[in-house]
Amino acid sequence: MITFDKVSMRYGDGGTALTNISFEIKKGELAFVTGHSGAGKSTLLKLILAMEKSSGGQLIVNGVNVNRITRRRIPYHRRQIGTVFQDHQLLLDRTVFDNVALPLEIAGFDPRDAARRVRAALDKVGLLHKERLNPAKLSGGEQQRVGIARAVVNRPRIILADEPTGNLDPELSAEVMRVFEQFKSVGVSLLVASHDASLITSLHYRTLTLDHGRLVADQPELKHGQQAAR
Amino acid sequence: MASKPRAKQDRSLVRIHAIRQWLLTHGRVARSSGWRLLAQPGSSLLTAFVIAVSLLLPALLFALNSNLTQLLAEFRQDRQISLYLQDTLKETEGLQVSEDLLSRPDIAAVDFISSAQGLLEFSAASGLGEVLLQLPSNPLPATILVTPVSEEAALIDALATELGLHPAVALVQIDRLWRQRLQAISRLISVAGSGLGVIVVLGLFVIVGNTIKLAIENRRMEISVIKLVGGTDSYIARPFLYSGLFYGSVGGLLATVLQLIVLYLVNIPLRDLLKLYDSAFVLQGFDLSGAMLLILAGASIGWVAALIASLRHIWSLEP
Repeated sequence: MITFDKVSMRYGDGGTALTNISFEIKKGELAFVTGHSGAGKSTLLKLILAMEKSSGGQLIVNGVNVNRITRRRIPYHRRQIGTVFQDHQLLLDRTVFDNVALPLEIAGFDPRDAARRVRAALDKVGLLHKERLNPAKLSGGEQQRVGIARAVVNRPRIILADEPTGNLDPELSAEVMRVFEQFKSVGVSLLVASHDASLITSLHYRTLTLDHGRLVADQPELKHGQQAAR
Repeated sequence: MASKPRAKQDRSLVRIHAIRQWLLTHGRVARSSGWRLLAQPGSSLLTAFVIAVSLLLPALLFALNSNLTQLLAEFRQDRQISLYLQDTLKETEGLQVSEDLLSRPDIAAVDFISSAQGLLEFSAASGLGEVLLQLPSNPLPATILVTPVSEEAALIDALATELGLHPAVALVQIDRLWRQRLQAISRLISVAGSGLGVIVVLGLFVIVGNTIKLAIENRRMEISVIKLVGGTDSYIARPFLYSGLFYGSVGGLLATVLQLIVLYLVNIPLRDLLKLYDSAFVLQGFDLSGAMLLILAGASIGWVAALIASLRHIWSLEP
């Protein structure tokens, strides 16, 4: 679903964000991207969303060559990807329900259909009873979960998450990861940027480690039998 | 074979569904844009008022011009030549002159107005009755109104010149001259109105464009979120286009109301003036099509201005 082939990314001021990155995320695969802050995790996600343009290499996402995508096609490309943002990017002039409904409204869903999906997504993150509230009234963790509901409401093929458990206690983090695992089990590919080492090691998923814009380690998913060895 | 018509039916159902969906989406966006404007009634009304006043100026000029044109059309029927007779002439002599004129083949009708009759009519029409009657002598000459057979300006001119040579005639006046002056004034107003119209349209583009630009700036955060979850540029621009449309149409409506008020206020003294001229002229500008045109002009200017502003400012944001 996501193929990086020798992708490099340089900023206009000459700073290098990513160097020669190659990896592939398959359908139904969940992978963590980890590394110190500024290692290039967010840049990696931005490239996938076509928020930034790479300066070299080839990036194929969901069959789309993102390097050569036209401005007109970018919105349709993003509709295939559910994104959980670090600063959750919720709109404070509308309710939780309307925030989650936004991607469906943009895609032109029938309002009744959309309402059903929104409630299902909110139920999945345990916030159905707060659909009428303004996101500003919610705690940081709840806001993060609204962001997750918005990312999954469109049933995307790919989910990107930038520090989705950043504001959450361990129990809620585990809850969020369980939601992600449900999507993985129905064939969604997930890429989760996180520096939450304890969460990553407890889950044994594939882990890509970035250091100063280079991919320094690609730890494959550990099967049940291998867990002891780790 | 049986599946073919069904497939066709399905396709048309899908199309109907898509059109319905499109209409619903637009209705929703239009409503929410409307509410957004109503949430700030003061500034929205102010913008609409500025648009209204800008539209009012050329609209009034065009109204003035169409009234002038109509007035001219009325006078076109009226190809009279006025002959003012020497004031030494007696009334019977004047009548004799007019009867002589009537026998000419190129004159269709004559109307003799004695100086006494003229004074009576004028004092009644002008409201200066008492004053005029107190004058020691009648200042008005006897007049013969000549209606030529021909409608051609050159022939009327020739006739007027010839009649001017008649010893009983002191002065010849053709109505055509001041009709020509009115026509020239009408052309001038038309040109000025068009020029002002162009300036006003440009000004409105700036006003509406700037309002929309500010609205876009205020909703930058929302726009960036919408972009991140897959909103197209046209989806983002849509509410702003509706805002421009609403500003423009409300501005047009306000301009119509203002124009009505102005014309009503002008109509009162104008009626008295026209009574003096004994004219059947009725002031134009109250008609529905003119009002519709003004509203339509406002709406389209608002929409196009919003479109230009959206293209410029939304396009410049990060994709």
